[in-house]
Amino acid sequence: MPIDDLQQAAQKIAELLSNMNKLGGFRLKYRISAGDPQEEDTAALNVELAGPDTPLLTQHNGELLRAFETIAAQVLRLDQREQSQISFDAGNFKALREAELKMAAETAAAKVIESGVPFAFPPMNSRERRVLHMVLREIEGVETASNGEGRDRFLAVYPEGKTHLPVAAQAKPRFGGGGGGDRGGRGGRDGRSGRR
Amino acid sequence: MKETGKIAETVRGTNMTQHEMVAVEELVREIARALVDEPEAVDVQTVARDESTILKLRVAPGDVGKVIGKQGRTARSVRTILSAVSMKLHHRYTLDILEEDEEV
Repeated sequence: MPIDDLQQAAQKIAELLSNMNKLGGFRLKYRISAGDPQEEDTAALNVELAGPDTPLLTQHNGELLRAFETIAAQVLRLDQREQSQISFDAGNFKALREAELKMAAETAAAKVIESGVPFAFPPMNSRERRVLHMVLREIEGVETASNGEGRDRFLAVYPEGKTHLPVAAQAKPRFGGGGGGDRGGRGGRDGRSGRR
Repeated sequence: MKETGKIAETVRGTNMTQHEMVAVEELVREIARALVDEPEAVDVQTVARDESTILKLRVAPGDVGKVIGKQGRTARSVRTILSAVSMKLHHRYTLDILEEDEEV
């Protein structure tokens, strides 16, 4: 369900964040504002966090920031696709991350075009995969597709028209990911091992 | 204020204060209450150990999916928040979500 009462939704988010400060010992300031309804692709509610604990939010690739956003989306009963209705940011983290992803996408595209070999990004959430996808759509000579399930879902870049080529997922960029990430892609799961 | 030894206000056998433990328990309760359809059925019990404290969360059977979320996203987010809290308070808190009929 989309957010039909922004005022009430903002209040719920404020309550959640106030509890984080009061009970969780966080030191965060927050500002909740409505997005521009005229503009496409913007969130209905923007939550800007600041204060001494901002680095906690943005470390580990913004893990805590995303956790806050996920909980807020659940509290507002937004499903996964509707989660883009709210956007949490801290210290311009999202804009910086987007610029970083854009650069990574351009580098990957150049590499794929030059080598003819597909490239796999590390597993990312849907929002980040979407950023990559949008950038790569504008680049001629490559195609993208998402592979893998759930947390392991990753975006792969293929030479145009060659999405059938096998691509190995990168090992998870986390600690204690448990159980070998088959980085080399050798001994492929589908019997197409070796040849690329 | 930094606790160095087992002073009166720390929870016995741990380095955290009673106040902190109650606050973190209350935080988990408040998050859970906001997530579920039956907030009155939310129950959090705390098991304090030397090194870590386990928060056992029980919700109405119909709400278990809501606190876990698709592919465990919600539960994972609550745990991420708890680990940040743990870092701030220098004491590890973990979350157990109890299924129906499970003993505390």
